Amino acid sequence: MPTSSLWLALIPLAAVQLYLVWRRLLAYLRFFQQEGYENLRFLKWTRARSLTDPAFLVAVASAFLGPKFPLSIAILSFLVFLALAVAQPDPRSTGKISLRLTDRAKRILITTFVVVVVVWGGLLSVNPTEPVRTGFVASSAVFLLLPVLLLVGNTLLMPYEQLVQRRFEQDAKRLISDVHPFIVGITGSYGKSSTKSMLAHFLRFKGPTLAASGSINTLMGVTRHIRENLVPGDQFMLVEMGAFRVGSIRRLCQLTPPSAGIITAVGEMHLERFGSTEEIVRAKSELAQALPPGSFLVANADSPGALRIARGATHAKVLLYGETSPETLDTRLKDVVFTSKGTTFRLETREAEYSCFVPLLGRPIILNLAGAFTLAVRMGMSPALVIAAMRTLRPVANRLEVVEEDGITWVRDAYNSNPIGFRAALEVAAALPVSRRILVTPGVVELGPEQREANRKLAAEAAAVCDFTVVVSDTNRSAFEAGHRDAGKPGTLVPVETRTEAFRWLRDRLRSGDSVILENDLPDLYEASEGIFLNARPRRPKALKAQV
Amino acid sequence: MSEIVTSKRTIGVLFGGRSLEHDVSVVSGLQVLQALDSDRYRPLPIYIDHSGHWWTGETLWHRSSFSKGGPNKDRLTEVVLSSNFGASELRSNRAGALPGLPNLRVDVFLPILHGTYGEDGCIQGLLELTGCAYVGCGVAASAIGMNKRLSKLIVSRVGIPVVPWRSIQRSVLDLGAAWLDDTPVEVESVFGWPVIVKPCNLGSSAGVSVAHSPSELNSAILRVFEYDTEGLIEPFIKNRLELNVAVVGLDTPVASITEMPVTLKGSHLSFSEKYKRQGRKSVSSSEGMASAVRVLDPLDLPAEMRATAQEFAIRAFTELGCEGISRVDFLIDTDRDELFFNEINTLPGSLAYYLWSAPPHYWTITELLTKLIERAERIRATRVRLERQPPPELRLLG
Repeated sequence: MPTSSLWLALIPLAAVQLYLVWRRLLAYLRFFQQEGYENLRFLKWTRARSLTDPAFLVAVASAFLGPKFPLSIAILSFLVFLALAVAQPDPRSTGKISLRLTDRAKRILITTFVVVVVVWGGLLSVNPTEPVRTGFVASSAVFLLLPVLLLVGNTLLMPYEQLVQRRFEQDAKRLISDVHPFIVGITGSYGKSSTKSMLAHFLRFKGPTLAASGSINTLMGVTRHIRENLVPGDQFMLVEMGAFRVGSIRRLCQLTPPSAGIITAVGEMHLERFGSTEEIVRAKSELAQALPPGSFLVANADSPGALRIARGATHAKVLLYGETSPETLDTRLKDVVFTSKGTTFRLETREAEYSCFVPLLGRPIILNLAGAFTLAVRMGMSPALVIAAMRTLRPVANRLEVVEEDGITWVRDAYNSNPIGFRAALEVAAALPVSRRILVTPGVVELGPEQREANRKLAAEAAAVCDFTVVVSDTNRSAFEAGHRDAGKPGTLVPVETRTEAFRWLRDRLRSGDSVILENDLPDLYEASEGIFLNARPRRPKALKAQV
Repeated sequence: MSEIVTSKRTIGVLFGGRSLEHDVSVVSGLQVLQALDSDRYRPLPIYIDHSGHWWTGETLWHRSSFSKGGPNKDRLTEVVLSSNFGASELRSNRAGALPGLPNLRVDVFLPILHGTYGEDGCIQGLLELTGCAYVGCGVAASAIGMNKRLSKLIVSRVGIPVVPWRSIQRSVLDLGAAWLDDTPVEVESVFGWPVIVKPCNLGSSAGVSVAHSPSELNSAILRVFEYDTEGLIEPFIKNRLELNVAVVGLDTPVASITEMPVTLKGSHLSFSEKYKRQGRKSVSSSEGMASAVRVLDPLDLPAEMRATAQEFAIRAFTELGCEGISRVDFLIDTDRDELFFNEINTLPGSLAYYLWSAPPHYWTITELLTKLIERAERIRATRVRLERQPPPELRLLG
């Protein structure tokens, strides 16, 4: 049996470990939250990450050494655990997307903490005669399994969460039937958010319009947004409908029955989640099926998937827009020219042709604009008003935004890119009058088996436009190497491990007149695990600015 | 002999708020908190968040609390203003959270809220209804001062020149698309190009743009309608200077020295120029309006024009029935050496304290605030003491 002085050391040791567990849970919860509390997606992210947690390694070492030098190991590990707990960055205030402690997040946190205590207690009682070793073995197991225990906590709460969600949905439905807004459902693999915000911008000049400012596109998100924001008098409501699996849009359409719809583009994005393009088309078709007879379905004819959905729509009246499609279109985009201030283009409808300017950039954005224009006009707005309203659109930060700072032209397209957006940024960068073009990107992800090939092609196209390509992290590095070889420019590729390193490289070489294209700056999820367990704050671009 | 100890008066500084100028108001509010005479007063920060909730707590003193999505609400106490007339109390559901709570008496309120709901008579109406003493303009002066069309109408009636304007109401959007053709034709015939288009009821430069053609005009009008229900269209004076004068409402209103904001980009003062630090890295980080680029008391300004501006400023302040500190902004057409009233800010950024730093009035903001707080209590008392007993002919119910 341990001596009483050892017992005195073990109590604070247990306390400090519980504190560290709490801190770690917060850290993991941030990523769990970013994955939409989806167990499988989180598991995919976490993999064997907890093996690299210093807390786990310390616990394992202590389990080996503890029985030999119980008191000194107890004191030493106490200090190390404490240091680790203090050194961990607080996920509520750090990281590109920080943890929001919502009620649900709090529930998961507390439930998981109880689960941890129970598991720990259970493991301790296995071999109470050797408390030091058993204790550290239990700690090792807990630190190793922490991400899984988080899932256990989440799963235990599931029935309750579903009950809460149902009640919220009922609330939202009642509100919708009271206010009775004209609902436009918008779906597609990409372009939903931008189409939604542009259509909302137009419709607000016709009547009060509710549209979430960010990408709220899940049942839970939409429900919450309605409950918090829909007010009597609202005339239009725009709902971005994300498809995470077949059936998700159908459920959204039950919550917010659409009176019109837009299908932006159906492509290979999120192929990983669906398995095949066929499934994606099926998932997105649910919007077309939900439309009442005589309503408008606006579809992008340039996208074969969107066109297929439109062709399959039975009750809705289909309106097509596009640029390259051979179909007869309701709105055709023509003569697109990019400048650093924005884009000039023409829109040809069945009745007339209009010259337009918009202070936004990127071919897909302009195509989305054509879609929003098509529906706005069909909803009774005058084309001249919509075209005047286009000039008042504002660029969204990090969505193909061109910013000139101290002689450097930044093409910022950091947010969630796909091959089409990637090409759009390259096209705009190529049109800008700058001396050198430097691309910084980790490539594109979530493309399933086609990821390597897609990145290889993009890399070759980038090599043709850019003087250097800085490829971040090893996710797509070999594809980028292959692409640069294909383009005959292997020497222009600069592989780096992290974003921080990329900026350090830039800082040393940038000069006035250069352009930097920041493409698909990945969310924390895909970056190396730096900053989760220990503080490794990446340097901000600001530091760079000061030096150039 | 026993000494009578007078307790410090509690001054509730309201800042933040639901307007576009929330951040500017936080900067100004923190300046005012620091500037209050702590020997005399106990300054109480009251932060109004973006959704209109009121909070108080020690962390509100620090500017760093406001970065990254606003102050941590766990460390603050939510309060509401008691609706009992004359109570002038903040109430909280969390007993014992702060000394004095759940009922915390506030002697005088200092609304440092720029823009909608703060500068337009709304908060003043709330404070009147609850019988609180507060610094600054009352309901009517605030509301009219915020409305550029009404303030121009009133000051032009007392002989102050204003730039001509056309007003356009948001309701044109409900009347078809004809205005898209008609308005530019009319504006062109009356003013020519370019014109400046601005929201009628906003204090900042948000929504303001210059239009050089019919299509730019229509877009500029729509930009205004994103922010406001009424827009003003005025000829854009190409060679122009801005001239500002502050007025403080004492027993007789007193005008400050003049300032000339320096326009950096050759067009009107834009929002970022007005409120962000101008590359002067050494400037203390809570300066806001006070650190914009400006020339105080410009030497090359003709003495006569300066005197006229000061006189007009006092006249406008008086005619609108202002109190507290207002800043009256003028435009100078440098081609014709003409001075025009542009707008009045009844709650100017940083309370325009930097305009009292030269003769004849060397007042620090601390001194000015003390004067205004004393005056606010007097104004409240005067109003409370107004006859409230109905005369016999109004006593219908016996």
